[in-house]
Amino acid sequence: MTQPEQSPYTVEETALIRKRQAARSRLMGVALVGLCILFFLITIVKVGVWG
Amino acid sequence: MTTAARDILMPAEWRDFWALTKPRVMSLVVFTALCGLLAAPGNIHPIIAFTAVLCIALGAGACGSLNQWYEADVDAKMARTAQRPLPAGRMDREAALHFGVGLAAFSVGIMGVAVNWLSAGLLAFSIFFYSIVYTIWLKPNTPQNIVIGGAAGAFPPVIGWAAVTGDVTFLPFLLFAIIFLWTPPHFWALALFMKTDYGAAGIPMLPNVKGQRVTRNQIFGYSFPMGGAAILPFILGDSGWLYGATSMLLSGVFLILAFRVWQNEATDAAAMKPEKQLFAFSILYLFLLFALFAIDRMVIA
Repeated sequence: MTQPEQSPYTVEETALIRKRQAARSRLMGVALVGLCILFFLITIVKVGVWG
Repeated sequence: MTTAARDILMPAEWRDFWALTKPRVMSLVVFTALCGLLAAPGNIHPIIAFTAVLCIALGAGACGSLNQWYEADVDAKMARTAQRPLPAGRMDREAALHFGVGLAAFSVGIMGVAVNWLSAGLLAFSIFFYSIVYTIWLKPNTPQNIVIGGAAGAFPPVIGWAAVTGDVTFLPFLLFAIIFLWTPPHFWALALFMKTDYGAAGIPMLPNVKGQRVTRNQIFGYSFPMGGAAILPFILGDSGWLYGATSMLLSGVFLILAFRVWQNEATDAAAMKPEKQLFAFSILYLFLLFALFAIDRMVIA
C-alpha cells in the first residue's frame, strides 16, 4: 500500500499559489471575453455590415 | 529543497507578465504607431485601427518579453534591472519565452487577418529585428548596438501607416528616420550617467568602450541629421506651419541641450546634469513631435 504523497508546499504557500492562480485565471477570462467581442466586431466590419 | 528553488516553482503573478512587456517602452511604441496611423492618408474603420494598435502593442510586449528572457543574466548584474521578474526569481525563463513567442505569433497573425499582410510582415520583421538582430547579436557585441538596433523602435509609425494605406511611401520612412536618428543621442545620454551599470554587466555601450568624449561628440553629431529629418516633412510640403514651427523650435532646444552635453567634461554621474536634461527632454521631444505631426496632418486632411 502506497503512502499519500506529501505536498512540498506549506499551507501558506499553497494559499498563495491558489491566490495567484485565481488572479491569473480571472485576467485570462477577461482577456478572452474581450477578444471574443473584438473578433466579433472585426467580422462584422469585414463582412461590410457597417459599410 | 532550498527556499530559492521552491520560489521558482511558484506560479508568477500576472503583474510579472505585465512587467515582462516593458509597459513604458510599449507606451512610446503605441503612441508613435497611433501617430503614424492618424497621419496616413485614407480611411480606416475605428475597429480595425484599434486592432492594428493593439497588435503593435502586443508585438512590442513580445519584444520586451523575449529581450528579458535572453538578458536575464545581464539584468541581474545591473541595479536598474535587477528587480525585473526573471533576475529577481519571480518567474522561470521558460514561462517568459513562451509568453514572448505566444504574443509575437498572436499579434502578427491577428494583424495579417484583420488589418493587412504588409503591416503584419513589417510587425514580424520588427519583432525579429529587436529580438534577434539587436538583443542577441548587436547589443552584446558592438558599441554601435543601439544605432542599428534603433531601427526596431523606429518601425511602429511605419506599421501604423501601412495599416491604413496598405503601402509604404517616403513620408513614413521620414518618420522612421526621425526615431532612428533620435535613438543614439537618447540612449547615449542615458548610458553616460548609467555608465557604471552597463560596464558591470559587460554591455559594450559607447561610453564604456570609446570613452565619454567620443560619446559626447556622437550625441552632438547625431542631433543635426535628427533635427533635419524632423523638419523635412514641412520643407517637402507634407505638413503645415503648426508642425513646421514646432519641429524647428523643439529641434533647436534639442541641439542646445546636446551642445551642453558636448561641452560638459564631467566624469562623475552626479555632475552630469546636461546629460540628464537631454535624456528627459528627448522623451518629451519625440512625444510632442509625433503628436503635432498627427494633429497637423489631420487638420490638413
